[in-house]
Amino acid sequence: MSAVAIETLAPRRSLLRVGLRRFARRPVALSALVVLLALFLVGALAHVIVGSSGDEIDLLHVKNGPSLDHLFGTDNVGRDVLKRTVYGIRTSELVALSAAGIATVVGLVAGLLAGYFGGWLDAVIMRIADLVTAYPAVVFTLAAFVYFRPVWPHTLIIVFSSFMWATVARVVRADVVRLRETEYVEAARALGASNARILARHLLPNVGGTILVAATSLVGLVVLVDATVEFFGFGIPQAVAPSLGNLVADTVKFKFGLASNSDIAAVQFGWWTWFFPGLVLVVILVCVNLVGDALDEALNPSSR
Amino acid sequence: MLAAGLLAVVSFVTFIGVATQFSATCSSRFTPSTPFPPLASNVHQAMILYWEWLKGIPSGRSFGNVCGAAVTQDLWQALGHTGALLGMTLVMVLVLALLFGVLAAARAGSWLDLAFRGFSYTAWAIPPFLLALVLQSGLIWLRTHDGFTFFPESGWPGSCSFGTFVCTPGSHAGIGYVGEVVRFLFVPALALSVAFVGLHSRYLRSSLLVALAAPYTTTARAKGLPERRVVLRHALRNSLGTFTSVLLLDFGAVVGAALAVDFVFRMNGIGLLFLGEIGALGSQSGDGPKFLDPYAVQGLLTVIAVLVAAASLLAELAVLWLDPRARPA
Repeated sequence: MSAVAIETLAPRRSLLRVGLRRFARRPVALSALVVLLALFLVGALAHVIVGSSGDEIDLLHVKNGPSLDHLFGTDNVGRDVLKRTVYGIRTSELVALSAAGIATVVGLVAGLLAGYFGGWLDAVIMRIADLVTAYPAVVFTLAAFVYFRPVWPHTLIIVFSSFMWATVARVVRADVVRLRETEYVEAARALGASNARILARHLLPNVGGTILVAATSLVGLVVLVDATVEFFGFGIPQAVAPSLGNLVADTVKFKFGLASNSDIAAVQFGWWTWFFPGLVLVVILVCVNLVGDALDEALNPSSR
Repeated sequence: MLAAGLLAVVSFVTFIGVATQFSATCSSRFTPSTPFPPLASNVHQAMILYWEWLKGIPSGRSFGNVCGAAVTQDLWQALGHTGALLGMTLVMVLVLALLFGVLAAARAGSWLDLAFRGFSYTAWAIPPFLLALVLQSGLIWLRTHDGFTFFPESGWPGSCSFGTFVCTPGSHAGIGYVGEVVRFLFVPALALSVAFVGLHSRYLRSSLLVALAAPYTTTARAKGLPERRVVLRHALRNSLGTFTSVLLLDFGAVVGAALAVDFVFRMNGIGLLFLGEIGALGSQSGDGPKFLDPYAVQGLLTVIAVLVAAASLLAELAVLWLDPRARPA
C-alpha cells in the first residue's frame, strides 16, 4: 500500500490539531486569548490609535485625575497616562514576544539535540542550562545590565532569551528522551531515515504541544520579570520608551542608598498614574496564564 | 556533588565578570568618585584573583570589600532581614496554599472551588511589587484617615543607623523583638505570598484531584472512612511530596520577588543592598563611574546562588522524606 493510499484512509488529524480544537471549546480560555490579542493589537497599532507619540504635554492639566479628556488622568508633567500606557503595552509586547520567541527556538533546538543524541552533547547542553538558571531571573537580569547600559529594548530581549531558553530546553529534552524510544521512531530508523529526518518529521511535530505551552508561559514570565526590573529603574529608561513596568516605577519616589525607618518608597503622585499601567499588566498576565493553562490541559490530557 | 560543582563554576564565571568590570576603590560605596580602573585588567589576572578570593571565604574576608573593610556586617544583616521575610513568606504560602488547595479539591465544582479558582488566577497574575505598592498605599491611607498605625508602612523594627544596614533592637529585646519583627514583616510577607499562594494552591488542587480519583481513595472510602480522613490522610499524603518540592523549586522566583518587596518596604534586606551596589552605577546614564566593590557584589551574588541551590537540594530531600517510593531501595 502506498503512502498516498494510507493518507486517504483516515483524515489527517494531528495531536496538535485535536488539542487546539479542544482548546477552542473552552469559553474562558478563548475569551482570555481574544482579550490578550486585542491588547497586543492595541500595542502594535499604538501610533494609529493614540497618535504618533505619547509624550505630548498638556500644561493646563498637570496631575489631573481621570476625566473625559484624559481617561486615565495625566502624570506630573501633564502627559496623558492612557497614551503612555498604550505605548507601554507596545514596549512590553515587543520585548515579551521577541524574547519568548528567540528563547523558544533556541530551547527547542537545544532540547531536541540533547534529548535525541544524548551522551556528551546532552551533558554539555544541560549543564549550560543549569549554569544560566543558577541565579533567579530578576537577579540575573539586574546583574547583566551592568554590562549593557544604556538599556534598549533589544538589550532586554538578548538578556531574557540568554537564560530563558533553558526552561524550554528542559521540557523538550524530557519529551524527546521519551519519544526517542517509541516504536514509530524505531520504525523510521529501520526504514533508513536519517537523524535529521527523524528529528524534523517525527520528533518535532510531537513536541509541538509542549513547545506551545512552554512559549506561552515564557511570554508571561518575560512580562513579569521585565516589569520587575523596570520597576527598580534598571530597564528601558523612560526617555527611551515607556513600558508597563517603568510607568509604575515613575510614580515611586526614586531613592537609592539606604533606608531609615521614616523613608517610604510610596506613591508620590495620583493613584491613577500607577494604577492603570499596573492594571493592564495584571490583565495581560491573567490572560497569558489562562491561555497557557488551557493549552496545557488541551494538549496534554494526561497531565490534567 | 553536582550542585557543588555547578556553584563553583557559577561563582568563577561571576567573579571573572565582576573583577574585570568593577574597580577597587576602598572608598565608601555611596561616595561618588572618579572612574577607577577595574580590579583585574584581563581574564588571566581575574583568574589569579579568584583563587585569592576563594582562600578568603573561610575567614569571611571575601564577603567584605577588597580592602578588608567590614561590608560583611551589612551583608549578614541584610541577609538576616531577607531571611526573616522569606521564612515568614514560606510559612504563609505553605499554610494558605494547603488550606485553599485542600478546600478547593474537596469541594471541587462548588462555588467555593470557583471562587478559589478566580482568586488563584488573579493572585498569580499580580506582580509582588505591584501588590506591595497597593498594600503600602493602603497603609498610608489608613494612617492618614483613621490614624491606624499598627502595621508600619516601611522599615525594620528598632533603630537602624543611616548609611549602614546595621539595626539594633532598640527598646524591645528578646521575645518582644520577635513580635516587633512579625508586626513589621506581616504586610510585606503578605505582598510576597499572595502570588505564590495562588500558584501553588492550584498545583495542589489539581494533584489532589488526581489522587482523589485514584483506586486507593475508592478503597479508603469503601472501608467507610470519614471524608475528612480520606482527603487528609490518603489523598493529601500522596500529593504532599510533589507540592513541597515544586514549592521549594520555585524558591528562586520568591527570592527575586523579595528584592522588589524589600525595595518598596525599605527593609534593609539584600534587595536594597544589591540595588545599592548596582544602583551606584547610575541607572539611567551611560558610562557612569564604576566604583562598585567587586568583592561585595561577588559575595552577594554567591550567597544568592547558594540559597537557590540549597532550596533545590532541600526539595530533593523533602521528596525523599515525604514519599517513600522515591527512596532508593
